[in-house]
Amino acid sequence: MKVMGIIFANDGSLEGLTTHRTTASVPFGGRYRQVDFALSNLTAAGVRQVGIISRHHYQSLINHIGAGEEWGLELEEGGLEFLTPYAMSATDSYRGKLESLYAAMTFLTYGTEDAYVILTGSTILCNINMKDVLASHIASGKDITIVTKAGVANGKKQLDLAIKLDKKGEVADIAVDYAAPEGYLATMDIFVTSKKWLAEQVREHIARNLFHMDRDLVLGLWQKSEGSINVYQFPGVVLYNESVAEYFHNTLALIDTKTRHDLFGYNHPVYTRVRDRVPTFYGENSEATDIVLADGCMIGGKVTNSVLFRNVTVYPGAEVSDCVIMNDAVIGEGAELKYVILDKDVTVRPGAKLIGTPDNPVIITRGGLV
Amino acid sequence: MYFQKKRCIAMLLAGGQGSRLKVLTENTAKPAVPFGGKYRIIDFPLSNCVNSGIDTVGILTQYQPLELNEYIGNGQPWGLNKTHSCAQVLPPYERHDKKSGWYKGTANAIYQNIDFIERFDPEYVVVLGGDHIYKMDYSAMVDYHVKNGASCTIAVRNVSLEEASRFGIMNTNPDNSVYEFEEKPAQPKSTKASMGIYVFDWKVLREFLIADEEDPNSSNDFGKNIIPNLLNAGHKLMAYEFDGYWMDVGTIQSLWEANMDVLGKDPVFDLRGGKNATIYARNNALPSSYIDKDAKVVNCFIAEGSEVYGTVRHSIISIGCTIGENAIVEDSVVMPGVVIEPGAIVRHAILGENSRVGCNAIVGGAFKPKDKKKISVTSKGAVVEANTVLLPGDML
Repeated sequence: MKVMGIIFANDGSLEGLTTHRTTASVPFGGRYRQVDFALSNLTAAGVRQVGIISRHHYQSLINHIGAGEEWGLELEEGGLEFLTPYAMSATDSYRGKLESLYAAMTFLTYGTEDAYVILTGSTILCNINMKDVLASHIASGKDITIVTKAGVANGKKQLDLAIKLDKKGEVADIAVDYAAPEGYLATMDIFVTSKKWLAEQVREHIARNLFHMDRDLVLGLWQKSEGSINVYQFPGVVLYNESVAEYFHNTLALIDTKTRHDLFGYNHPVYTRVRDRVPTFYGENSEATDIVLADGCMIGGKVTNSVLFRNVTVYPGAEVSDCVIMNDAVIGEGAELKYVILDKDVTVRPGAKLIGTPDNPVIITRGGLV
Repeated sequence: MYFQKKRCIAMLLAGGQGSRLKVLTENTAKPAVPFGGKYRIIDFPLSNCVNSGIDTVGILTQYQPLELNEYIGNGQPWGLNKTHSCAQVLPPYERHDKKSGWYKGTANAIYQNIDFIERFDPEYVVVLGGDHIYKMDYSAMVDYHVKNGASCTIAVRNVSLEEASRFGIMNTNPDNSVYEFEEKPAQPKSTKASMGIYVFDWKVLREFLIADEEDPNSSNDFGKNIIPNLLNAGHKLMAYEFDGYWMDVGTIQSLWEANMDVLGKDPVFDLRGGKNATIYARNNALPSSYIDKDAKVVNCFIAEGSEVYGTVRHSIISIGCTIGENAIVEDSVVMPGVVIEPGAIVRHAILGENSRVGCNAIVGGAFKPKDKKKISVTSKGAVVEANTVLLPGDML
């Protein structure tokens, strides 16, 4: 079965964390970046041709993914392609996913026409068997499959795409950018279609100045009854990192063993760029409990309920609780951190105190000194 | 095919059994034995090569090579898989003139691979062992070799006079040129012990390998034959003194000690990087490690993919291990993939890869310096049944 994957690297924003990087390259879970989940989902299902569509500041993304060798995408045929933007005739940059797909039409239409394409975002993290999704799509005989999650809609969270099914499992309602009430399914930003159908739809929509994937394509088709929709419901753990508060909450959720095992072992391993770091060392007077952490750290102080990335140094006498500490941070003696996100390369001076709240963690941006 | 000429290449002798490591090398060549939480012994000489600017390495394998070959693969973890670099596994092979078969000795192993070396037309060949833990810049040794106009340079370290009779000893003149080599001398005249690291002028070595092969009485060994023959023929041999950390991890005791040496705030042997000092290893796709709310971890290494629910003190916990609730691990080396079930106690032990210690089982006893040889060992995949005891110094 020929199938290609397309990953959208810039969807949404995570405030200070995405000032200098795509949402796809935001670090996550100690040793990963968010895009690792989408990439691993695709390649674990045997996808050997992956395009990555990025709009801006994609330097860190290219650095991270390189030629794709960690995911087995360093191939003679197919493999990995960065679909970086160029100004469109009508607009400065892409206004929506359909417009970016239009710009990537050469990639999309390359090779056999009867192949399938899996579209995926990079901020909704899961460990999903894409072969299953593809099989469901083919068996349904429908134009497009939307992967969804039950139990996310709560009347408060704004969903990009909310779908209600009737008793027979047919689509009863579709809404876009909607704080849907309980009972609606939330999109996981993963779609499957045939290449041919998608290319046609992109051309037709762009010709009419319609560029929004959820609003113009999915909702539009359904309202005009011009396309058929298959809804796939994923049972596993799904983390929606669509705001800093969600990102913070979901990162600390990895401390829960069930969530962690589900996300990292549900279907396949999650691959990432390898960095050669020594194992983490815990000092004579360290107190480390309820933490998830990568290699290369030196833990001298007290660290609880936190996630630490590679090469973090916590000096004796420092106290870190309920924090997300990214690579290469140095936390000085006697410093106290609670509800804090430290981006990469941050130095916290001895004795410094940073206290945030669960919904409003303090963010120290990359390279900061506090 | 085009082969880029190399000034210097390395040949890594990785074929030995390492029988003194007993159950740990029953099914694995010694260079593939895990070390330091995420490494294997061969990572040290291989990373040293890369950090010394040597990008062409022949790796001679013979004993139980499956795991070692898998581990080396195409050399990618060490960056040795590029257009003009390689980590080439060289197993023994059959030849039309019958001058082949199993590697008879260290020198014969290199002899059988003269064709491999000739492809790169090197000036110098570095010959290394695959069973030592150390960081060393071989390029400085090659420079020393060239500067002194030697045919062969041997790395040496100073040992105590008592220890000297366990090593190959270089007796040297004041300028560090070697006038005599003695294998395990009863009355040592010098304390300069060979580290099994040689730099040779390739033309000279080639000639001596061929001559050695013609000698039916030779045991085809560098220490026993090639070095004495070079001396007898009047070639200039130099001793290159190395004073950094170096440990022959050929025994259970020394393997345990070397692992303990990487621990501490200022460790005896610092595994951490620094310029040109990173040790590279093949990495597995394992998630971040997890330390539970009831865990206690002190003075230890815990590698990625491990989950700790119990207590760990002064130990190495390698990749992908699980330490269950209320389990206690002290003064131990826990190799990759080990599971220690709840309530088990492990002290002064080496647990082989993927072995398992059942609930409430006891392995080993408290570490006492006077009993430092009484290390309990489990072999790869061994199971210490629940509620049973593996005594200090016992092997399973």
